[in-house]
Amino acid sequence: MMTYIVFILSVIFVVSFVGFSSKPSPIYGGLVLIISGAIGCGIVLCFGGSFLGLMVFLIYLGGMLVVFGYTTAMATEQYPEVWVSNKAVLGAFIVGLLSELLTACYILKGDDVEVEVVLKFNGAGDWVIYDTGDSGFFSEEAMGIAALYSYGTWLVIVTGWSLFIGVLVIMEVTRGN
Amino acid sequence: MSVVYINIFLAFTLSFMGLLIYRSHLMSSLLCLEGMMLSLFVMMTVTILANHFTLASMTPIILLVFAACEAALGLSLLVMISSTYGTDYVQNLNLLQC
Repeated sequence: MMTYIVFILSVIFVVSFVGFSSKPSPIYGGLVLIISGAIGCGIVLCFGGSFLGLMVFLIYLGGMLVVFGYTTAMATEQYPEVWVSNKAVLGAFIVGLLSELLTACYILKGDDVEVEVVLKFNGAGDWVIYDTGDSGFFSEEAMGIAALYSYGTWLVIVTGWSLFIGVLVIMEVTRGN
Repeated sequence: MSVVYINIFLAFTLSFMGLLIYRSHLMSSLLCLEGMMLSLFVMMTVTILANHFTLASMTPIILLVFAACEAALGLSLLVMISSTYGTDYVQNLNLLQC
């Protein structure tokens, strides 16, 4: 079962995406987005990206979704809609769930199943994570991210400047009048 | 390509359709935009880690930076709409009348 852990996590990922894409009230959508962020972190961790999984939790969930949470709390209504209280939401949720179930059953049907949408997907080497064997004394993903400050200096300057301009734009937008 | 990508593509497509189909709140469309960014992050990270593109590992972080910028901008627009109309219902955005 542990060989299929990445597939199971990706199925739960899609199910939680259906949960907030079927648009219940935003407070429940935010809750399900937190769950899908955690599952996405799990998928990233299964491929060996420990620093990037930490980034998801810290920056994405801890920074962006907290801001979404209290903005939603500011603009919410008295009786928020759940998935079962509205036929449109429930219908969208069931349609999404069925499409994911069909996809999962088709993928699990055989070992040499091949799906072609734009690219050829095949499950032939999927359950084993390829590794060259020797990774030295450091994790190559962490070294690649550390290269942000040596090879990616211009990237740092551009993103820093765009964040600064973003703050100025937001201040102008919310000044109103 | 491995089969896990199908599920992540499906997640991206679902939240993209959720972004385009409005119901009552503008906030839930912004949440679908965040979902799109999350699925793009996961797809990019899985591709980079599975193919050992070491130097490209910085690009998911850059993607997250720009996603944070756009989320903050969307939220500021939502706050202005909410302070003008009282709620963030999409039916209030009818100045164009066409």
